[in-house]
Amino acid sequence: MVRFKHRYLLCELMSDDPRCRLTLDDRVLGNLVRDTIARVHGTFGAAACSIGFAVRYLNVYTGIVLLRCRKEFYQLVWSALPFITYLENKGHRYPCFFNTLHVGGTIRTCQKFLIQYNRRQLLILLQNCTDERQREAIQKSVTRSCLVEESSGEELSDGGEEAAETME
Amino acid sequence: MAAFADLDLRASSDLKALRGMVETAAHLGYSVVAINHVVDFKEKKQEIEKPVVVSELFTTLPIVQVACTHLDVDLVCVTVTEKLPFYFKRPPVNVAIDRGLGFELVYSPAIKDSTIRRYTISNALNLMQICKGKNIIISSAAERPLEIRGPYDVANLGLLFGLSESDAKAAVSINCRAALLHGETRRTAFGIISTVKKPRPSEGDDDSLPACKKAKCEG
Repeated sequence: MVRFKHRYLLCELMSDDPRCRLTLDDRVLGNLVRDTIARVHGTFGAAACSIGFAVRYLNVYTGIVLLRCRKEFYQLVWSALPFITYLENKGHRYPCFFNTLHVGGTIRTCQKFLIQYNRRQLLILLQNCTDERQREAIQKSVTRSCLVEESSGEELSDGGEEAAETME
Repeated sequence: MAAFADLDLRASSDLKALRGMVETAAHLGYSVVAINHVVDFKEKKQEIEKPVVVSELFTTLPIVQVACTHLDVDLVCVTVTEKLPFYFKRPPVNVAIDRGLGFELVYSPAIKDSTIRRYTISNALNLMQICKGKNIIISSAAERPLEIRGPYDVANLGLLFGLSESDAKAAVSINCRAALLHGETRRTAFGIISTVKKPRPSEGDDDSLPACKKAKCEG
């Protein structure tokens, strides 16, 4: 069976500054990762990792990023991710870092993991929130995510946006 | 099941920043965190409460030999900021591993600066060749919450340092727990008996009822 095998790295962008996530752009992010790989692994790294590399999913509100790379070189890409220290966009420099949540062979496994992760994050947000209105909104999304098990695609975006709204 | 631990967060004087760092670490998935007080060698008079885990930072060969064999420490920190002027010798390192000492590698200077990165990797590879990846701990000497990295990322950094995959994961979870337990056993007698100060129960209501009557009331 001739098929190119990939690895999908699910990462979360964490930063002090809430504006950092809003300036995320897939091209900016792709260039940032490629530069970091070149810095850490040199010419070979940059060349090897760039053949199958792509940014597959980007959620600006929650900062979730899904990167794709070839299976043979995924460790090179993964080991370069901790060395990212800032995001530069339009002249503004935001200090941030990437936290890898999951490595999967297909987008579907990463999506399943992301749904579970978002559910857990909603529960944590529920514990920490102070405002009554926020609390109601989060409780509504928690019950909705528990009931609706079939349509997993909608939950991804819904859970994320609800969480983002309550966080603002 | 694996409890990830980061055994090196540099303590600054600001409590709020420290709390922020610990919260970030908890969010990333660490269950245990150790806060480091850096004490300079010269100022021995400084009084700190008896620490659970003691680690020492070395720059010269004779100290390393003594530390591995005799000194009462738990972890040996390997300097990463400059090229080690000496090579680790196999006999003291073997004695250290038998005693249960851990070797600690720090990764946050490597994230900041590229020459330090080179020294870190070369020192780490040097250490790996001698000790074959046993009893290694990787931790961040983070001064700000942005310098901490998640446990899976740190395990991947271990691959860069020359560890195998299972060794790298162990470096973040199992070996840290071993170092903590080693610190606990230093306080106890041969690791079996330990004394804990129990707060005295309030006199009066407990002593009025003799023990057998108390049991009947509860039963």
